[in-house]
Amino acid sequence: MFVRIMAVCTLSGLLACPLSSVAQDAVLPVDGPATGLADSAALRATVFGTPPQDLAPQPDLVPMVQIDIAMPWKRPVPAVFWFNKRLRVWFSEQPGPAPLAIIIAGTGSDGNTSTISLLRGALYGAGYHVLTMPSPTFPGFIVSTSSTGVAGDLKQDARDLYSAMQRIIANLPKSVRVTDIDVLGYSLGGANAAVVKSMDGVERKLGIRRAVMINPPVSLFSSIGRLDKLFTQSIGSGDAGIEQLYQKLYVQLANLYRVSNEVQVDGNFLYGAAATVLRTDAEFSAAIALTFRIALVNMFFAGDLYAKTGVVVDPKHPPRVGDSLAQINRTLRGKPFSEYFEKVFAPYYMAHRPGATRESLVAENRLDIIADELRGDPDYFVQTNRDDLILDKSELQWLERTLGDRIAVYEHGGHLGNIGERQQIADLLDMLAGRWNGDAK
Amino acid sequence: MKSRIVTALVCLMLGACAAQNVRFSKLPPETPAANNAAALENAKALVAAMEEAKAEGDASAPAPLLPPLTTADVPSMDTYDPWERMNRFTYRFNARFDDYVFLPVANGYGHLPRPVRAGVHNFFGNLSEVVSMTNFVLQGRLGHSARSLGRFAINSTLGIGGLFDVAKKMKLKPAPTGFATTLSKWGMHPGPFLVIPFYGPATLRDGIGLAGDFGTSYAIDTGGLYRATDKSWAIGVTNAVDLRANIAFRYNSTGSPFEYEMIRFLYVRRLLIEDEGLHVDDPSKLRGPPAPAGQ
Repeated sequence: MFVRIMAVCTLSGLLACPLSSVAQDAVLPVDGPATGLADSAALRATVFGTPPQDLAPQPDLVPMVQIDIAMPWKRPVPAVFWFNKRLRVWFSEQPGPAPLAIIIAGTGSDGNTSTISLLRGALYGAGYHVLTMPSPTFPGFIVSTSSTGVAGDLKQDARDLYSAMQRIIANLPKSVRVTDIDVLGYSLGGANAAVVKSMDGVERKLGIRRAVMINPPVSLFSSIGRLDKLFTQSIGSGDAGIEQLYQKLYVQLANLYRVSNEVQVDGNFLYGAAATVLRTDAEFSAAIALTFRIALVNMFFAGDLYAKTGVVVDPKHPPRVGDSLAQINRTLRGKPFSEYFEKVFAPYYMAHRPGATRESLVAENRLDIIADELRGDPDYFVQTNRDDLILDKSELQWLERTLGDRIAVYEHGGHLGNIGERQQIADLLDMLAGRWNGDAK
Repeated sequence: MKSRIVTALVCLMLGACAAQNVRFSKLPPETPAANNAAALENAKALVAAMEEAKAEGDASAPAPLLPPLTTADVPSMDTYDPWERMNRFTYRFNARFDDYVFLPVANGYGHLPRPVRAGVHNFFGNLSEVVSMTNFVLQGRLGHSARSLGRFAINSTLGIGGLFDVAKKMKLKPAPTGFATTLSKWGMHPGPFLVIPFYGPATLRDGIGLAGDFGTSYAIDTGGLYRATDKSWAIGVTNAVDLRANIAFRYNSTGSPFEYEMIRFLYVRRLLIEDEGLHVDDPSKLRGPPAPAGQ
């Protein structure tokens, strides 16, 4: 239950769990939907994930091998990314011949998140070899594998993922016997998985059998726009909002700690603190928005560095190993995705893709680009939630219309908040195995 | 023997720098069923703790000793780090050492049966009670010191030399402390952020505290384990491996070029909040210059 919060705590750098501070003088309504973007239950499910009592059965042991693999096409690695020279993926091998399930993580995540663990456990337990990969927007992927360094383009990211998958599979030990290959992913990783399958449909280098998208976006930029809006509404714009959030959070935690009997600020204390102070919609929204913003900061930095667009990184004097990055970090924290699109993404792709315009780039980053396959090929599936906060009504309808009976829409779960849940896992396994009959919602 | 170990380490570190196209590292298997069961237990314990706290709160809300902190008391988001350049290089060294030496060894250790690892972990936890007990006395927190003494006595006897944490089952939960906290209690500020080779993020005060803890262990020499050079090497290494195997942190798992900033920020804020709790009766010892944090 709290794994996700702890992940948020660690990653956000702002102990995003206890955000009650915002509520004290929040401008937002405390009860009811905070933002108009998502309801209370959806926000809570998104932060907490599946409650432990609702999780599908998991196997006792899942073997794990970490694979670090160099990509021959990799661009020169900037000094500041000294640690990302090779792509890191994880593999769990079945003893005998088995189908291989490849899982792609969501925006900004590596291939070993708690969400991935839930999926890996379920798939391994059902007899799959499992390979888990980072999102193409994860800095480790951008540096080691991306052929552009500018992440977030569906086709380009799928191209890089597809090449990486071929290389990884070719390098698996000879003992691994793969009967079929399926791909799946959550959030942005879902869209990535589907585009990879569509690419493979033409090139046939892997022979991918089925693809399942879990909580995918329909339009990348409209989904991200919603998350940016969530940030502005729950935290404020710019770095000042973050500073204010930090101060309130610090006060809240310190005051709690002063009256507690704990000797250390450790997991025990933070669990208790999270439950005490994470209460309102505004706080849950802030936790979600902040997690996404941290991912964006990394992507923005890498893109600016590689595309030499000079927004925060001087292209002539890129930072080196011992240099402080605090100022750059501070500047980027205050920047929304729209600025990444305007100042890094669009200029780069307009310069490198003949005829590209801002409008065409937005249009190319929708699932529409594979609409024919989604409609006609019985091997694409979707699992999503009616209250997923990255989709609006028309986007959900588009998915339902396009996928027909190959979509499972759950009433509740927010964004990724029901992954690992019994029904979700049972449906996922049915979809991957070709047993899905569309009526098990 | 020592020189052979050092040579092997250097070779490993150099080998690490050589280009390898593919590297396979076998990790300890995941145990999802056990993890889920543990999550369920945690959730239940949390609900129980919340209900207990609520009941206590209803019964008698204790008057706070001090007015609560306000945003004016909050340290800056910046951290005092005058040795940043050196720290960043040390951070990289530690990350590489972790990746190529420390973690592979800890992962190998992770393949031992769970009861064996728990026994080792409890054993070192029990030894550390001696340091905690001493430091609680130095901090003037005699109740805590008595608890550490009680834990040590119970676990060393009923827990068969510390292999089992019997005291925890008797509701005497571990609450380790060290000389760094004592220094804080005595009014020393955390000082500059410091990344210690092989160890990790710390502050100058933590560095001195570590040396103090080592000195205390050496002086008391519990069970004759710290001074006999043949045993103390083995004890030190096993203790380090056990510690590493029990820390979930992985260098560069964020993939972020700002990981150093994040770790520094979180580490020092955690420390400052602990200081707030430590000086709840005398905040004059706490407030350093307003910025940057830690100074």
